Amino acid sequence: MAKLSMKKISMKYEKKLILEDLDLEIKHGELLVLLGESGCGKTTLLKIVAGIIQPEQGTIYVNDTEISNLSPQVRQIGYVPQAQVLFPHMKVKQNITFGLEARKLTKETIEEKINWIADLVEISDLLDRYPRELSGGQKQRVALARAMAIEPHLLLLDEPLSSIDATGREALALTIRRIQKETSTTTLYVTHNGDEARLISDRVAVIYDGKIQQVGKVLDVEQHPKNYLIAKILGSPNIWPILYTKKKEKTKLFTSICDIPLQGEISSKITGVKIPPSIISISKDRIEDPNLVVLKCYVKTVIEKSENEYRLILDLKDNPSEYIKVDCSRSEYEKNLNENNEINIYFSPLEVILL
Amino acid sequence: MFSTTLKKRAKADSILNKSIIILVILAFGSFLILFFYAPLSKIFQFAFSDGNQFTFSFIIETITDPLNISFLLFTFAQALLSMLICLILGIPAGYFFAKYDFRGKKLLLSLMTIPFVLPAIVVLLGFIVTYGESGWVNSIWTGLTGIDSPIIEIFGTFEGILIAHVFYNLSVIIRMSIPAWKSVDTEQINVAKSLGASNWLILRKIIFPQIVNYLVSAALLVFVYTFNSFAIVLYLGEIKFQTLEVRIYKLMKASLDFNGGATLALIQLILNTAIIILYLFFESRTRQMAEGKESIFKSEKISLSKKNWKKNINISFFILFILALMIFTFSPIVAIVLESFQPYADGISPFWGYQQLFSNEYMPLLGNSPLRLLLNTLLFASLTTILTLILSVLLVFVLRNRYQSLKKYKISFSENFVSYIIILPMATSSITLAIGMFLLFNNSIIYLEFVWVFIVLTHVLISIPFASRSILSAYNRIDIEMLNVASTLGASRFRIFAKIELPYIYRGIIVGGIFAFAISLGEFAATNFLVRGEYGTLSIGISKLIKTQTLQLPATMASILVIITIICFLVIQKFGDIELKV
Repeated sequence: MAKLSMKKISMKYEKKLILEDLDLEIKHGELLVLLGESGCGKTTLLKIVAGIIQPEQGTIYVNDTEISNLSPQVRQIGYVPQAQVLFPHMKVKQNITFGLEARKLTKETIEEKINWIADLVEISDLLDRYPRELSGGQKQRVALARAMAIEPHLLLLDEPLSSIDATGREALALTIRRIQKETSTTTLYVTHNGDEARLISDRVAVIYDGKIQQVGKVLDVEQHPKNYLIAKILGSPNIWPILYTKKKEKTKLFTSICDIPLQGEISSKITGVKIPPSIISISKDRIEDPNLVVLKCYVKTVIEKSENEYRLILDLKDNPSEYIKVDCSRSEYEKNLNENNEINIYFSPLEVILL
Repeated sequence: MFSTTLKKRAKADSILNKSIIILVILAFGSFLILFFYAPLSKIFQFAFSDGNQFTFSFIIETITDPLNISFLLFTFAQALLSMLICLILGIPAGYFFAKYDFRGKKLLLSLMTIPFVLPAIVVLLGFIVTYGESGWVNSIWTGLTGIDSPIIEIFGTFEGILIAHVFYNLSVIIRMSIPAWKSVDTEQINVAKSLGASNWLILRKIIFPQIVNYLVSAALLVFVYTFNSFAIVLYLGEIKFQTLEVRIYKLMKASLDFNGGATLALIQLILNTAIIILYLFFESRTRQMAEGKESIFKSEKISLSKKNWKKNINISFFILFILALMIFTFSPIVAIVLESFQPYADGISPFWGYQQLFSNEYMPLLGNSPLRLLLNTLLFASLTTILTLILSVLLVFVLRNRYQSLKKYKISFSENFVSYIIILPMATSSITLAIGMFLLFNNSIIYLEFVWVFIVLTHVLISIPFASRSILSAYNRIDIEMLNVASTLGASRFRIFAKIELPYIYRGIIVGGIFAFAISLGEFAATNFLVRGEYGTLSIGISKLIKTQTLQLPATMASILVIITIICFLVIQKFGDIELKV
């Protein structure tokens, strides 16, 4: 078990700062998902931790030992790059023993460890195959086994699900989670996909502009994102940036789908709004209530979440390039849809979450 | 919490890595300084100094000399024309090889590449036997028509030189245009067709922009090779036609005009460097275009269709065209071997040439017995191979030093340094290399007693670009992430080299080594300039016999070179692909 701390990490690439005074801490045995859009420096950070790239400045500690100046050989950090990169000329078994052999262990110990890790990762039947004979998911398991075999202080995973087909993703994610828990390995998991964070993370750290912008449990971050961009990176539904704010008698927020009047003054800067699908109601009749925001829509798609729960995806009548998601029951939907496929939606601006 | 063994090893690794870089810079640097840059500076000295003081008079004399100007123009003209003919013939042939799959394709391609590495003097002999005045083609012509005057004349004619150059370099265009054609995804063409584009529009807007860089770099390569052509022009050009390379040689050897020769060599070097830089530019653009592109191109089987007669005519035309190229390529080679069994006079055994290998009859003319020439050739080639490989592997190690270049994402100083200091040797012609060595060392004891040392060193200088290219292209197939993962797993520098890098590059090393061997085997220009006494090679021997009436003995010696070259090629084909690029 180990704790990882990074302090004031900065990194330039072709004169552009990609990481700037970045701080991050991962607790003992924790799986932290580092979430950010492509090109934001996630992979660079991972490589810096692994010791493959030297940062311009900053220090890294494992527990309280500084590792910034250690070479990758010494750090004992399991690194699984995005494309897995198994050694193509070695069988699966040799791939796994590669790291063990560097440690001068006895043959028996190596054999024991292979059996242990192969069982854990469920690849015992693949040991005699060459990488080219494996599927994407199997390759990822082998890469994971190879990294875990050296019993690393820390496991680094770079978008481990990106090259896996949709059907295998969840299963592999859960395998990773199980192994990580069973071995209590402190893990840094990099992805651009908010769903993966929801699926397996202990905590999530959102990165952009070279810095960690918000860290916390996924639910907390999802419910209280610090700003519009964080909500967007998490992939929250129904969020819009604020185009401009008008302050006359009442403050009004303008977005690309509607104007939202606010009660009272706002103290901090608002970057966006989130209209949770659950606060929106539907009606086939005209709604005339000045306290509600009302929008005319067309039904674009209906997703059946369960037998009685529907999620509607609606096009806005006034602005067909925008769409909005609404949750409702089946009976409500059937009752309120008119013959032209039109539907009215409304919500109270008081329930809108300001970002 | 961190293993002390691993820590110690990491430290040792870092020291090892630094020592390798220092060693390379020392070994490679001093090699280049001693045997390339110092000789080059000697050439400068002869070009700019009259023995006492600095002067421009040699430069002015050289560039205003009408003879020099006309030879310079000829050098350009023949290189340009040879290049164009190679392009016209080679691009369609490359298309055929890219598009169609058939049995023995790889072998055929390899065989068609043989002329390119065939010793120049062997090519020359092959041409004389095939197209010479009493050669096969003209004999058949006279036999068929009864006309006495030959249909082809290769001596002292422009077309003779062109045909020989096309024969020599055609395979460069064929081989380099195959990846060009393959880089165009057939799906793109299908999409373009579905959008209603005509074939001409597709060629212009879709295909051409994607293949142009490949073709330009291939064309520039042929241009460089023919621009620096020596043996062929020396013999076929007679006095009328001289490339700069031949002119320099004649100034130095026949007129003993060292200042004039050095000045012209310098001018040639400047022109060569410009072309090489241009070539490197297009080559790197080609590589950029190829990067990240997956090879989705699928070749199709040759088949005739019952309905599509247009396609059938197309295919038949192509097959005939390729057959014609094959005849053109193989006939001089076959002719040499046949000639070696052709008794030069009545009552002579067909095996006379081979028996002569073991006799001393021709020693006064050859400087040594044919067998010793063969042994010299093999010995020089082996030494060249070993030295070239050592230097090339070290060179690749610095050029692709992950430890240096990956840190901070910057190209390291050592990598930059090394990649610049090797451009000039690449652009230097064989004669210039030899002249430099000669001017710098001709009074030394080593030169007078052991001239073979300089012959081998020149061969090494000529071979390094080719060999390091082969190794580099193998090395470039290694995914750097793989090496990163290996080091996070705790593997030492040496272990990573032995277990991961070596399995990837050993084929490149073998191919590069054979290339060096083949180059040394047939090198003529520099060897011919430097050679003294008994240290001749088979190429030199053949050149001395080429103007005699008995072609049987030179043909025998050439056949041996042909056979060794073919064996080299078969081995290369087994281990990897041939890199024609420098």
